[in-house]
Amino acid sequence: MKKYILFLTVSLVCNSFLLAQKVSSKEWSTKGFTLKEITVLGERPMKEIGAQLTKFDSVVLKENIALSMADVLTFSSPIFVKSYGRATLSTVSFRGTSPSHTQVTWNGMKINNPMLGMTDFSMIPSYFIDDASLLHGTSSVNETGGGLGGAVKMSTVPAQNEGFGVQYVQGVGSFKTFDEFLRLTYGSEKWQMSTRAVLSSSPNEYEYKNHDKKENIYDEDMNIVGQYYPVENNRSGSYKDFHFLQEVYYNTGKGDRFGFNAWYINSNRELPMLTTDYGEEMDFDNRQREHTFRSILSWDHFRSNWKLSAKGGYINTWMAYDYKRDVGNGNMAHMTRSRSKINTFYGQAESEYFIGKKWLFTANVAVHQHFVESQDKNIILQEGGKGIVGYNKARVELSSSVSAKYRPTDNIGLSFVLREDMYGEDFTPLIPAFFIDEVISKKGNITAKASVSRNFRFPTLNDLYFLPGGNPNLKKESGITYDAGISFAVAKENRYTLNGSLNWFDSYINDWILWLPTTKGFFSPKNIKDVHAYGIETQWDYSVLITQRLKFDLNATYSWTPSINEGEPISAADQSVGKQLPYVPHHSATITGRLSWNSWSFIYKWCYYSERFTMSSNDISLTGRLPEYYMNNITVEKGVSFKFADISIKGSVNNLFDEEYLSVLSRPMPGINFEIFLGITPKF
Amino acid sequence: MVKNIIKLVLLSFILLMPSCMEWDYGLEESFDMSSSGEGLFICNEGNFQYGNATLSYYDPQSKVVQNEVFYRSNAMKLGDVCQSMVIRDGIGWVVVNNSHVIFAIDINTFKEVGRITNLTSPRYIHFLSDEKAYVTQIWDNRIFIVNPKKLEITGYIDVPNMTMESGSTEQMVQYGKYVYVNCWSYQNRIIKIDTETDKVVDELTVGIQPTSLVMDCNNKLWTVTDGGYEGSPYGHEAPSLYRIDAETFKVEKQFKFDFGDWPSEVQLNGTKDKIYWLNDDVWEMDVNADRVPVRPFLPYNGTLYYGLTVCPHTGDVYVADAVDYVQQGKVYRYSKDKVLLDEFYVGIIPGAFCWK
Repeated sequence: MKKYILFLTVSLVCNSFLLAQKVSSKEWSTKGFTLKEITVLGERPMKEIGAQLTKFDSVVLKENIALSMADVLTFSSPIFVKSYGRATLSTVSFRGTSPSHTQVTWNGMKINNPMLGMTDFSMIPSYFIDDASLLHGTSSVNETGGGLGGAVKMSTVPAQNEGFGVQYVQGVGSFKTFDEFLRLTYGSEKWQMSTRAVLSSSPNEYEYKNHDKKENIYDEDMNIVGQYYPVENNRSGSYKDFHFLQEVYYNTGKGDRFGFNAWYINSNRELPMLTTDYGEEMDFDNRQREHTFRSILSWDHFRSNWKLSAKGGYINTWMAYDYKRDVGNGNMAHMTRSRSKINTFYGQAESEYFIGKKWLFTANVAVHQHFVESQDKNIILQEGGKGIVGYNKARVELSSSVSAKYRPTDNIGLSFVLREDMYGEDFTPLIPAFFIDEVISKKGNITAKASVSRNFRFPTLNDLYFLPGGNPNLKKESGITYDAGISFAVAKENRYTLNGSLNWFDSYINDWILWLPTTKGFFSPKNIKDVHAYGIETQWDYSVLITQRLKFDLNATYSWTPSINEGEPISAADQSVGKQLPYVPHHSATITGRLSWNSWSFIYKWCYYSERFTMSSNDISLTGRLPEYYMNNITVEKGVSFKFADISIKGSVNNLFDEEYLSVLSRPMPGINFEIFLGITPKF
Repeated sequence: MVKNIIKLVLLSFILLMPSCMEWDYGLEESFDMSSSGEGLFICNEGNFQYGNATLSYYDPQSKVVQNEVFYRSNAMKLGDVCQSMVIRDGIGWVVVNNSHVIFAIDINTFKEVGRITNLTSPRYIHFLSDEKAYVTQIWDNRIFIVNPKKLEITGYIDVPNMTMESGSTEQMVQYGKYVYVNCWSYQNRIIKIDTETDKVVDELTVGIQPTSLVMDCNNKLWTVTDGGYEGSPYGHEAPSLYRIDAETFKVEKQFKFDFGDWPSEVQLNGTKDKIYWLNDDVWEMDVNADRVPVRPFLPYNGTLYYGLTVCPHTGDVYVADAVDYVQQGKVYRYSKDKVLLDEFYVGIIPGAFCWK
């Protein structure tokens, strides 16, 4: 019983405390490697009954300071990341859905932009995330509503250090890229404090051959006498991002923990010019700036068979978009000047109660109150004087759930979740979700899982109120998802571990919201499509200790994601019914291999996306083609331990084979590029 | 075991090595449309910020359409948002709005013969001579003066009471030495430019957001307003069709539509004695009529028409359906007797036409 309680306490309550700490290079070389234990029968957390989860290893999250969560998702998950360029907007398509169908939480607080619904993963440095997991499809109902594709759950955890600690990493890379990371920690029996800062900047002028345009050579009479595809730099693509994260945790040692997390972002990014842009770079300034502050106060109260926690948070976001051109003598005049301010207040209460080994009851209520002020355009009114095109709205978003989880035998687990969401004054019907898992064979820990849930997604504030075009009459999207899968895990102590899973999913989403142009020259959203998204996801992990000093890890994912428009034709000419949604690949795959030898490590990352259609009719045109692409990155790292400090030297090569590729039309990605990182962890 | 791992790593390299995406270079195709008499260019806007605008060419006699002719002929993209096109002396001038460029192409081979670059956000081009043309803009309070022969910007016309941010000048028609321009986005006026001084000399207030401008056989200007939109700080009103005398620059007639209607795309037939426009249905009206017809020329068929043109030779009416705006649009060709003669798919968001 004690062992069981200990396990529950660890896995359900203080799960994050167990985050693997990076051992020093000295420990690597003297102690050798160990293999993490695999999940075995009786140790499957009740909170995860029937759930399809992908957990990211901390090694993946902390590979290097230049990575964003967009990079992590690209190379370590079956999610499709649609990237508009290096350090540029990166959105995700989870199981063939749109970016706003993926709910994103940070320490429990939803961080999807309430105006747009989506999250820009390029704005989340992976070094700021200690624990991240994907909740596929139905499994997201355990965490939040609205995740018709799923949810990305990210959190920070106490560093678990004793005394003072310092870590500093400097990165220098291609395209005059500089990355700096500093972490200060302090830990005692009851206190854990951490301060992290990341500063990344680059003119980002990577070179590419522009296949979309030609330069002309003229004679004196302005006749074209020659043409060639120019080699251009990524124009107007510079960025300077600063992130600061402060955490303070206090553990009473008597079952209470208090936490404070504050994350500040200051981002200044130019928006790169298209490959088909014939404007002079110096004559235009196209820039997006963002200041965001997120903070959370938390209290967790643990007892042997129950837990209570409460959180309060606040988000302030200021975003500016400026598009200017030189009107002579370097005088830059605004073509577009838009500003938006978002204030979000957040509160959450959660409780868990165990009855013996077999029952777990949970209850959760979360509220987000948004205040949005959007100023999109400045105009001159008919009667003279200035006017602002924009909107000023507030909306409360309430999401609550209760669940009962039952494990009648060691082999079977059942879970039933009821969720209710309210946005503004609009309630969803009760959202039920049912999960079941069963250990089919103890040999190999073969476990079958299945789940089913309804789900709803409300229109975003821009969907409803954006001027011009917002449509306050939009209905919420609704969906139903079925999941089934099988997993296994085998291991030989201190020799190897192998686990894998294969899942099938089937989702129907009705009243899909699409923004369509109007005859008035602007876009307006409508409930249009019914979408059937289905497919297969599989994931494999293999670790082997070849010798005590040589270890090999391999992680592979693959997903097949048809996402089919099954709505009614919009008009007689509509050729999109029965076709794959644009910008959703049928196939995606990733492989990450890591070879570790003493204090050396070698990482090989590979990902593949099949061709994406750019038309809803799935026609492939000469001007609208996005061929499949493969990406290969490698990293070599060497750790050295001195008396005064541990030093790590790391070199990364991205786009190893210097591929020319596009994730989005007219937005070229960088070719081969390099970055060197030097890290120092002083010893006190 | 170590050897096996090394083998595995090497094998992985071998498997992953041939991993190059094919971002193809286009192949230049040869076209010669000089034998076809009339021909219709269709400007397909493409999706804003995706650079997938295209140009289609339709031969009304053979009923054959060629899509992506600019790309196929030049092995490069047309750009981002193809807004309009005009033809002068065998050269087609294709205005590509968000690429800040106007391409000059041979109208028989579709080969580029030149380009004017670094425009702010060009919408339409109007020729005054071989060496002088005006280019209207959105997000700029200036109309650009260009030299088409030298392919360069030579000057600007400042439009009064307009900032860069609220700048919007659109279609141009000429009467004598004056060029008239409708100012559309968050505007309500037609301006009059003296082409000798390149100055705005007069303006006429109409309704909210006049979308298009043509001049009929009686030298009357026609424009239609869209009335703004609900919630607009600029106002929202019932749209109207206006007949304006070019000589006196005064409104002669105002035809009011219902509040909430969305009329657009005023066009003329070849003899310029009939005007056409879209308002869910396709409408036709004699330029001397005193009231709007009760029944449309072509009734609404469940889709939102996006583009409209009338053949200057035969009077056939062409309407474009942009469908869901992320697939090939479709053009329907009707005779002046309302008989469907042909239908064909073109590029994404067919918005403007140009007759050869």
